[in-house]
Amino acid sequence: MSAVAQVAGFLALIALAVAALELVLAGVFKLTRTKHSLAYLMLAPAFAGLAILILYPLGYEVYLAFHDLKLTTVMAWRGTGVLPFVGFKNFLKVFTSSPLSGVSFWRLLLRTIGWTALNVFFHVAGGMALALLLNRVKWGRGIYRTLLVIPWAMPQVVAVLALRGELHSQYGAVNIVLGKLGIAPVQWLTAHTFLACSLINIWLGIPFMMVIILGGLQSISQHYYDAAAIDGASAFQQFRMITLPLIRPVLAPAATLGAVWTFNNINVIYLVTGQAGGTEDADILVSALYKAAFTYYRYSYSAALALVIFALLFAFSWTWMKATKGADPVH
Amino acid sequence: MYPLLRMVSVSLRPGDRLISTDLSLIPVGASLDSYRGVLGGTGFLGWLWNSLVITCVTSLVGVSLASTAAYAFSRFRFPGSKLGLMLLLGTQMIPASMLLLPLFLMIVRLGLINTYLGMIIAYSVSSLPFSIWLLKGYYDTIPRSLEEAALVDGTTRFGAFYRIVLPLSTPALAIAFLFNFTTAWNEYLVARVVLSDSRMYTWTLGLFELQGQYLTQWGMFAAGSFLVTIPVLCVFLYTSKWLISGLTLGGVKG
Repeated sequence: MSAVAQVAGFLALIALAVAALELVLAGVFKLTRTKHSLAYLMLAPAFAGLAILILYPLGYEVYLAFHDLKLTTVMAWRGTGVLPFVGFKNFLKVFTSSPLSGVSFWRLLLRTIGWTALNVFFHVAGGMALALLLNRVKWGRGIYRTLLVIPWAMPQVVAVLALRGELHSQYGAVNIVLGKLGIAPVQWLTAHTFLACSLINIWLGIPFMMVIILGGLQSISQHYYDAAAIDGASAFQQFRMITLPLIRPVLAPAATLGAVWTFNNINVIYLVTGQAGGTEDADILVSALYKAAFTYYRYSYSAALALVIFALLFAFSWTWMKATKGADPVH
Repeated sequence: MYPLLRMVSVSLRPGDRLISTDLSLIPVGASLDSYRGVLGGTGFLGWLWNSLVITCVTSLVGVSLASTAAYAFSRFRFPGSKLGLMLLLGTQMIPASMLLLPLFLMIVRLGLINTYLGMIIAYSVSSLPFSIWLLKGYYDTIPRSLEEAALVDGTTRFGAFYRIVLPLSTPALAIAFLFNFTTAWNEYLVARVVLSDSRMYTWTLGLFELQGQYLTQWGMFAAGSFLVTIPVLCVFLYTSKWLISGLTLGGVKG
């Protein structure tokens, strides 16, 4: 109960802080006769929050990357708050040593690219196939749609853990089915971790793509298809010449967003391999980052790694957005 | 879909047949033992309560901050408004994993490890940019003439927002709340880092424990999963129509 009281006290504190901030700002605006003062007043609390919890940590991350905080210096840091300056040493380590115990940064980078490409491809392909099917079906569409959206609505943790159970080499459904087909059990979780993670993530990501693509499909007028049919276009030609170009404005931002999400997806990989003794065969950059910081306690090192990953992601998104010009990246 | 059903099935299995290679959906000798076990024998109810407190508070804070900021973006053209919106989008580009470390150190410094407060601070702004975009999109569809009429009648600008726009935006606010709620409710990675005392666990951590350590708790894991999934699923299905249109309102232009 004391915890709840603590929370209530904290909320009161926030309210007070917001009120104080507003009063001070209002005073300043009055003195300087700023135009649009109400707009700024209404924005102030949200942006103050973002500044404290996003901008400040971002700055702190940069500070960490150039200093030395690790398990051996953390006690001293908690006492004094000062850290030795080490320059670019951490960045050098990112490229020369492994974030985990074995795999190198470059292996991880390659694997991340492969992971993103593979997953997004199957998300889009699977989502497209299901959306096309659903768009055809005339009766009971609501039911199918509900059924297919459920994996999306299921908490990711539950879904991943449940699927991980199904991939268990002895008791999981996948191997039991394979066994009935006469195929020897596959050691999904120990020998083929990357494949297992991909399977799980693909299964998780398809519904989102399906919903987006279905929305796009339903906005395409039937007239185009009628006209094409009169001209003698085959079903495949219709798909290529009508459907694809017309859902592009919907698909492109969704795929971009999907790529960024997949790139940043720690959940699936960590939940599958995160326990003690888990392999690092499936780790991608971000999950290695997470483990480096919180399993191996290499704080400054992982701060440098985080900055490198951020730069990569930024470069990737920038070129991608330039390449798919006109695609609105807003989600 | 099949994994969900199978989860239900496993949760119904009697204790002695938990580990089996049986694939049928309704097991032989179905029982509710696992449910009794998970509710009574583990900290499950406590975990649920922790999750509930943390999520409710963060969602409330998030939505209220977003509601005013979105209004400013929707109704006023002021220097910096474009920049502000772009900045919000920019924050979405930052990988969450990247902010986690400095946030964690901040929370350590403040002595808030293993507290609700630490979790709430870590979560509170994570959905803010998205909520602001969503609400701005909705406010844009409310005709300005309504507020103008109220202004003529003598309300202040803020009064017009509070008495007219806000009540009209209930569906969008509900979606924003739901979004905030599910994000925080399903969160795992931050919780893993901030909470180490098993009494303070959220249900995501608890379930991972149940499944991770011992194979024998597989039934309880399934029962627990089922119990946390059902409420979310109901809410999700109930609001899915608005949710999808709300998402499109927020941005993706067809």
